[in-house]
Amino acid sequence: MTQVLLFFWVFSAACIVFSRKAYRVIIYFGVFSLITSVVYLALGAPDVAMSEAGISAFATIFFIVCIEQYYGRGEGLKSEAIASRRKIRVTFMKFVPAFLFTAGLFLLFVNSVPTGYAFTELRDQYLRMFMQDVGGENAVTAIYLGYRVYDTLFEALLLVIAVVAVTHVSWFSSEEVPDGQHSEIENSRMTKFTMRIICPIILLFGAYLIMNGHFTAGGGFLGGLAFASFFICRYLVLGIYDLPIKKVMKMEELVFINITILPIFAVFTGVVYLVADVTPLFQNIYLVAMSALVGMKVACGFFILFYRHIAIERLPADIDKKE
Amino acid sequence: MNLHIFDIFPIILFFISFFGLITTNNTMKSIVFIMLMQTAVIMFWVGVGARFGAQPPIIGDIAYLENPDAIADPLPQALMLTAIIIGIAVTAINITMLNALFRKYKTMNWQALQNLSSTEVEEDA
Amino acid sequence: MPSHILIFFVIIPIIIAVFVYVFAGLKSARLIAVIAQSAFLVMALFMLIASRTNEITISVGGYEGFLGIILRADNLAAIFIFLTVFIFLGLVIYNLRSEYNHTDRLYWFLLFILEGTLIGLFLTRDFFNIFVLMEVSTVVVVILLMHDRKRRNLFAGMTFIMVNIVVMQFYLFGLGYLYMVTGVMDMEAAAYVIAHMDTTELALPYALIMTSIAAKCSLLPLLTWLPKVNALTGSRFTIAALMSGLHIKSGVYLFIRFQDVFGGMASEFFLCIGIITAIAGIILALSQKDIRLLLAYSTVAQVGLIIAGLSLNDEYSRIGSVYHVVNHGLIKVALFLGAGMISYLYKTKDITKIRGLLRVSKPVAIANILAVLGITGATFFGSSISKYFMISGVTGALEWVFIFINFGTILVFVRYSAIFFGRPKGAVLAPDWCRESVVLCLGISCFALGVQPAINFLLNQQVELSFWGYLEKNIVFVISVVAAYLVYKFILVKRDFLRPLRRFDLSFKTMCVSIGAFFGVLLVVLKVG
Repeated sequence: MTQVLLFFWVFSAACIVFSRKAYRVIIYFGVFSLITSVVYLALGAPDVAMSEAGISAFATIFFIVCIEQYYGRGEGLKSEAIASRRKIRVTFMKFVPAFLFTAGLFLLFVNSVPTGYAFTELRDQYLRMFMQDVGGENAVTAIYLGYRVYDTLFEALLLVIAVVAVTHVSWFSSEEVPDGQHSEIENSRMTKFTMRIICPIILLFGAYLIMNGHFTAGGGFLGGLAFASFFICRYLVLGIYDLPIKKVMKMEELVFINITILPIFAVFTGVVYLVADVTPLFQNIYLVAMSALVGMKVACGFFILFYRHIAIERLPADIDKKE
Repeated sequence: MNLHIFDIFPIILFFISFFGLITTNNTMKSIVFIMLMQTAVIMFWVGVGARFGAQPPIIGDIAYLENPDAIADPLPQALMLTAIIIGIAVTAINITMLNALFRKYKTMNWQALQNLSSTEVEEDA
Repeated sequence: MPSHILIFFVIIPIIIAVFVYVFAGLKSARLIAVIAQSAFLVMALFMLIASRTNEITISVGGYEGFLGIILRADNLAAIFIFLTVFIFLGLVIYNLRSEYNHTDRLYWFLLFILEGTLIGLFLTRDFFNIFVLMEVSTVVVVILLMHDRKRRNLFAGMTFIMVNIVVMQFYLFGLGYLYMVTGVMDMEAAAYVIAHMDTTELALPYALIMTSIAAKCSLLPLLTWLPKVNALTGSRFTIAALMSGLHIKSGVYLFIRFQDVFGGMASEFFLCIGIITAIAGIILALSQKDIRLLLAYSTVAQVGLIIAGLSLNDEYSRIGSVYHVVNHGLIKVALFLGAGMISYLYKTKDITKIRGLLRVSKPVAIANILAVLGITGATFFGSSISKYFMISGVTGALEWVFIFINFGTILVFVRYSAIFFGRPKGAVLAPDWCRESVVLCLGISCFALGVQPAINFLLNQQVELSFWGYLEKNIVFVISVVAAYLVYKFILVKRDFLRPLRRFDLSFKTMCVSIGAFFGVLLVVLKVG
């Protein structure tokens, strides 16, 4: 079963490589991400599967905003110029050396794949120890927030920097959306109605993921993604960008400071455990608090990325450069 | 040559996207191929973790005692959560840069972008 | 508790960075920067002294075995961290006066985060942590390069970040195989497992990881990215100094670490690549007119030399190479900061138009002369000693290759030295004392590194120079200088036959192809040899 899925996975990727139109690339990419997350699930990685599903939604939005400029808005879908007959020979001559090069590398790679298998001591040790070391029942969350919280710190930092970078490298220097910007696409009443019903469920689901991340699949990152997708739904229903990006950015950085400070006391130095004994209750409080912080952080980060792309990156080009 | 089934597909995808990277002229497609490459590597890691068993590493005491060998390795999964977030963050930056470039030069072609930006550098100097 | 200093050394810069970005005004940001950097310098010195007797180790969170992430400060890491903190202090003071600097809170934020990630990179012993930190530092460097919104070159920045991400995927893939065959994520444990393993098993992970690290060091197939990025319109000289002096050294550091982990596989290959990179870097540096491109290609050449020295499998060459990293870091920062001041004074970056620096600003000129003497390996300077040790490990024809590379470096800087003499043309501006003093301090420290106690202190080893060997080296140096001057005077000035190389550049696709080609060649070498 997994093999079949993996075959379709590679096939959808090949479709992306050989498709000539930008819109098709995006659609194939969506299919590809869907299959990817199903395969992750089949391989026993529910956390990774959910993350993949969550981020693929955001990636698709980014790509759509990108190609929207390429085609222009409201002018229908102009297709890219398809290579004419005379050009095909040139393309062929260009593709064959590249194909041979890649195929050679592939064969070389496949021929030197190591045959040895890992010792599984580390895995066994993690599975044996994580309940008393970190707590909870989900080993992935235990590693993510306990054993390797130092990595998680830098990952959160990268998200902060990504938000700063997106603001800085963008064509538009303003951080705020001009007042009263509405999306010009009026969604149908049915969509709006469905979204209105879904929105609270999404919020509830996000809260559930954060609170229960250490018992089941989920955790701070996924909860944060769910909260961020609440803002997508809100945008689809109301069709207005009215939230202050600047304040959210500031909040994100404050949350990040907390993300660094909490592990300092709870994990790095263990000051907290000098005062109290290491009880499961304490461990669970730490895990939930950390999940909540990471969730807030991710929600803020993806909210800003989404709003920037949907509200600022799509502004007409002549609004900028007034400075 | 002793290839596991979880090995071969990620390797194929890795090289498909590598082929795409060295042939495509479109900048946006390059960004998509980089995402594909990341996904290939992540799939490979998850496959490494699932080599001995594909049960999710979410356990109470009893499940572990029953069949400890069937549980997937939790370490690759935790690492890949980090890798996924890094991937999407970097993609967002790339796409924003591409948007800005497209607004400036009105093209997404690698060669055209290079020519246009290098002429601008010369004017500057 | 003292081992917790390792964690705080990484986290405190990051906390300060975010704090400055959120709360502080520009003036207080500068104040905080100076105070914090001075404190870091003291901490780094403490660490350098403490790591002399025994390594400082901590498992983050106190987990047993290899469950957690392990940070360890040995002498090598302490040297690199000291260099990092020293250079950052210099940069902070360089940017202190406000008349014509362009700093804002974002600049200080990114600078502190870059410092934290670089220190983290030098301390960590965890493979995946290295991946995360390298990604963070890449993104930070990209924003720093684009800091000037009006004059930034987005295209080069995008190419840079995309190439780096492709390279990091190679690293992550190799890491997957390494985890598969060793089952650990820690360097020491992996080295232990690898020592008892068949090397054919390791060919693939080694090739994948080393491809990415070679690209980070900007070795041969990818040698254009560093100069290209340094010469971006709109990037500051301070950032160029940071890239050349420090950021590329993190690649060298990882090269040392991974060669240790894998027990020095394929060192002949890296010896060849290092030498070819050095020669190519020198030729490209000779062809440039832009002062930043010249210095950046010279950095590429020096890094090639360092990689070659590290691949010699000789104890003294290794010591010399590590010492040359420190020397070159300080020298390059001094040169770049000096070049920044020069290009501000003359309002041009073309070195054929800059003349008579000695008449314009004595301190800048003296600092630049000290740095130029340092990089060419003049007597009593730090790099003469590092180069002496580097060459002491080689014999026969290879020794002549090293001497030839040094001759090439001298040739490049003889061409560069033309800026000191002659008469200044046109109106020039008055220099700033704050910047002058920083450049002068850096120039003097290049000289101070040549003192015997400094060497013994930094390297924690009693190294003895043989008098006759050192004298012989210096005679070779003098002959090289004379020869280089003659070559410059009678060949290079007359005819500009390197002109076609001036616009040498690689596109994104070519870079991807060369990454693949490097990987393929390395894998073939490993499988055959």
